[in-house]
Amino acid sequence: MSIDTGALAQQMLAAALPVLKTHAIDAESFASVEFKKIADTVASIEVMLHAGQINDQQAQLLFDMQKSASRSVLLTVKGLSLLAAEEAINAALAVVRTVVNAAVKFPLIP
Amino acid sequence: MALVWLAAMVQAGCTAKFIGDYDQSIDNGVSEVQQQAEVYFGKLKADPNTPYDPNFYNQINARMAALRTRAGILPQYPIIQKQIQELQGNLDRFQELDKITPRPVPIGVVTAAETAITVNVESILKLELALKRNTAPSLDEKNP
Repeated sequence: MSIDTGALAQQMLAAALPVLKTHAIDAESFASVEFKKIADTVASIEVMLHAGQINDQQAQLLFDMQKSASRSVLLTVKGLSLLAAEEAINAALAVVRTVVNAAVKFPLIP
Repeated sequence: MALVWLAAMVQAGCTAKFIGDYDQSIDNGVSEVQQQAEVYFGKLKADPNTPYDPNFYNQINARMAALRTRAGILPQYPIIQKQIQELQGNLDRFQELDKITPRPVPIGVVTAAETAITVNVESILKLELALKRNTAPSLDEKNP
């Protein structure tokens, strides 16, 4: 029995895509909320600076803190992306297991 | 081509693994750091004349050192390791800010610092939560 690679690829894609979409929505939702908080805070730093409540040094420290927070958010998005890739590959492998094992006549994918 | 790729995956252990597993010590430790920080922010907001407290920073830095060590020894943990470094960096910046800010501390300063540190913490906890509920079971679990 030969493998229909076109059908195999379609099955793998069908298994992987929903996983990728779910993770993308989750990451977008998280980043959107966190970046809004950071943007609001950057605006408040500017207001405090112009009102003379804080000096340049204080404003710089507060701004650097927001930059660090932004890097943390992006690192989370990177981590979620790795998880998404991990799950998508594993889902794609799982759906073709039966077909592949039947074709090669031994449990290539246990 | 597909078979070659599949064979490579099988040889690699059947499942893809790009990031480390959930770690309860990191999860709990980061939450404790946030609690400690929130108590200090609360004090400053309730009484803006609260003096700079070096003991708070000594305690929180000791906790952070333990977290850094833990993240450093966990396999496939470079992302959370970097996030812990970012959190430490922001605690250091806040300490400097706390030292140089005359009393009464403007509430906006506390709130801005609190937001940044909260985002640092939430970012780590979000990723840990995703690792915890990671639905990437082995092929055997998916196809028993």
